[in-house]
Amino acid sequence: MRSRVLRDMRNRASVANNELTRQAYRYITRNETLPARTRHQAQLALNAMSNETAAVHVKNRCLETGRARGVFRDFRLCRFQFRLKALNGELPGVKKASW
Amino acid sequence: MAQANPSASRLAQLAKLTCTLFHNVYNPTHARTGNKVLRRRLIGPTLASYYPQTTLKFRQVQAAFPDLGLVDLDEKERLDEISRRKRRGKGAPKKGKWIRFSGVVFLTGLFRSR
Repeated sequence: MRSRVLRDMRNRASVANNELTRQAYRYITRNETLPARTRHQAQLALNAMSNETAAVHVKNRCLETGRARGVFRDFRLCRFQFRLKALNGELPGVKKASW
Repeated sequence: MAQANPSASRLAQLAKLTCTLFHNVYNPTHARTGNKVLRRRLIGPTLASYYPQTTLKFRQVQAAFPDLGLVDLDEKERLDEISRRKRRGKGAPKKGKWIRFSGVVFLTGLFRSR
């Protein structure tokens, strides 16, 4: 799990570092007023970029356990850790529903 | 007397002027300029700040102040447990290409060749 979390951290860093380059290439590719050759070259450059630099490669993981599934975005915790912490009163404003 | 409708070129002029006034892009042919790519905000900083920044670790404090003689109790417990297991003969086997299994010695290469 730890290695997966580290890998995700690396992915996030590389996305942040390469975001502007990626956006520039994407702009050139999508711009139909530019010559076709330029647009094609931009598309090839985009394809040549590492998968790590794509934002879709990033996965939200649980801060406590590193679990990748069932992670609440707001709390950045997986469902079980969320339950444990909520019942323990460690999450401000979260209360067990009862009616 | 009824006034004639303004001509198409005149309407185009008006549209162009409107765009300059309101800072819009004048694009009468609806050509795809890729501006929507540039309109998106950058998400990199948000993504990069998902995990909390690394806080001060015990080992760093230990290294910074060696005079205090701080002891990591968890690490000490781990090492003690290893030495206890070794004394009982239950420790991890030594590294090497020989495998000792219930008194019989094998060479690992023989298994791989089969």
